[in-house]
Amino acid sequence: MTIDKDDRADGMLIEASRDYNAPAAVPRDAMWARIEAARKSRLAPKRSRWIWPSAAVAAAAVIMAVGVVVGRRWERGSSRAGLAANTTTAPATTATGPESDASGSLSYKLVVQKHLANSEALITSFRSAAKRGEVDAQLRDWSKDMLSTTRMLEASGTSSDPTIKRLLSDLDLVLTQIKLYTARGTNDADDLDLIEESINSRGVMTKLRSTLPARTLPAGT
Amino acid sequence: MTENARLIDRQLVHRCLAGEPQAERALYDAHVERIYRLMHRMAGDADLAADFTQEAFIRAFERLEQFRGDSSLATWLHTIAVSVALNGMRKVKRIRSRTENIEDTPDLAARPVGFSGDLKLRLYTAIDALSEKLRPVFVMHDVEGYTHEEIAGTLGIPVGTSKARLFDARAKLRLALAAFAGDSIA
Repeated sequence: MTIDKDDRADGMLIEASRDYNAPAAVPRDAMWARIEAARKSRLAPKRSRWIWPSAAVAAAAVIMAVGVVVGRRWERGSSRAGLAANTTTAPATTATGPESDASGSLSYKLVVQKHLANSEALITSFRSAAKRGEVDAQLRDWSKDMLSTTRMLEASGTSSDPTIKRLLSDLDLVLTQIKLYTARGTNDADDLDLIEESINSRGVMTKLRSTLPARTLPAGT
Repeated sequence: MTENARLIDRQLVHRCLAGEPQAERALYDAHVERIYRLMHRMAGDADLAADFTQEAFIRAFERLEQFRGDSSLATWLHTIAVSVALNGMRKVKRIRSRTENIEDTPDLAARPVGFSGDLKLRLYTAIDALSEKLRPVFVMHDVEGYTHEEIAGTLGIPVGTSKARLFDARAKLRLALAAFAGDSIA
C-alpha cells in the first residue's frame, strides 16, 4: 500500500467518522441544575450528619475521663478522712461513704446517658446508611470509638444497675458487629441481617429509648 | 497555552475557590460544550454523555484546589472527563456484555452494500471495537478535531504516543473495512 493510498483512505475514514455518535444540543441548564443538586447533597448532609457525633463522642470521652478522675480523688480523699475519723468516732465513716458514692454515681450516670444517646444516634445512622449502601469510613471510625467507650464503661464496673450493665453488654455485641461490618465495607446483606437480628432480639433500641430521658436524645435521631 | 490564558484560568479558579457562584457557572459555561460533545462521542448516548459530563464537573469542583495551573484548565477538565467516561464505559460494557446473548445482534453482512449507510455503520462498529488506548485518541483527533498536544495533555501521554496510537487506530479501521469496501479503503 502506498503512502498516497493510505492518505486517501485516512481522508475517507475521517470524512465518514464525522457523524460517529454525533451529539445533539447540549442540555446545558439541565446538567447544571443536576450538578448543583448533587454537590449540595454530597457536601451538606455528610458534614452535618457526621461531624456532631464525632464531637459528641470526643466530649463523652472527656466527660468520662474527668468523671473517673474526680470520682477516684473523691473516693481517696473520703477514705482518708474516713480512716482519720475512724480513730475518733465510728459514725463519721458512714457519713462520708454514701456522699462519695452519690457523687461518683452521678458522674457515671451522666457519662453513661451521653454514651447511650450517642449509641442510639450511631445505630440509627448506621441503619439508614447501610440501607442506602453508603457505609463509609467516618461511620467505621465512629463505631470504633463508641465500642471503645462501651468497653471502658463496662470495665469501670461503677454501675450497680443491672439494666445498664445488660444494656452495655448488648451494645458491646451490636457495636462489635457494626464495627466489623463497616471495616469490611462490603454491604453484605446477610451480615446486615445478623446485626438487625442482634438489635431486635435484644431490644436494644427500645432499651436505649426507655433508659434515656427525652432531653438527652440527640437532635435529628 | 498563552500566559494570558493561564492567568484567566487561575483567576477563574481563584474566584471559584473563594465561593463565587457566578465564577463556578462561568467555568462550567466555558467548557461544558466541548466536554459534553466529547462525552457523547465516547458514550454514543445522550443520557450517558450527560451523566459523564455532570460527574466530571462535580469532581472538578471538588478537586479544584488541586489545580496547579501546570496545564490549561481545559486540559485538566478533559483529563477528569475522559477518566470518568472510560470508567463509566467499562461498567456499561460489563452490563451490555451480560445481556448481549439474550438480545439479537444486527447481522451487518446481510445488509445491502452502500458507502453512505452500511459502510458508516461498519465503521462505527469498528470504532466501538477499538481498544481503550486507541479509541479516545481516534475520537478526539479524527472525530472532534483535538490536536495531538491537547490529546497528550488530556491522556497524560507523550505527543509521539498520541500520534502512534492514531496511526494504529486508523490502520485497524482500514483493515476492518477492507473486506467490506474492497480496495478503495484498504
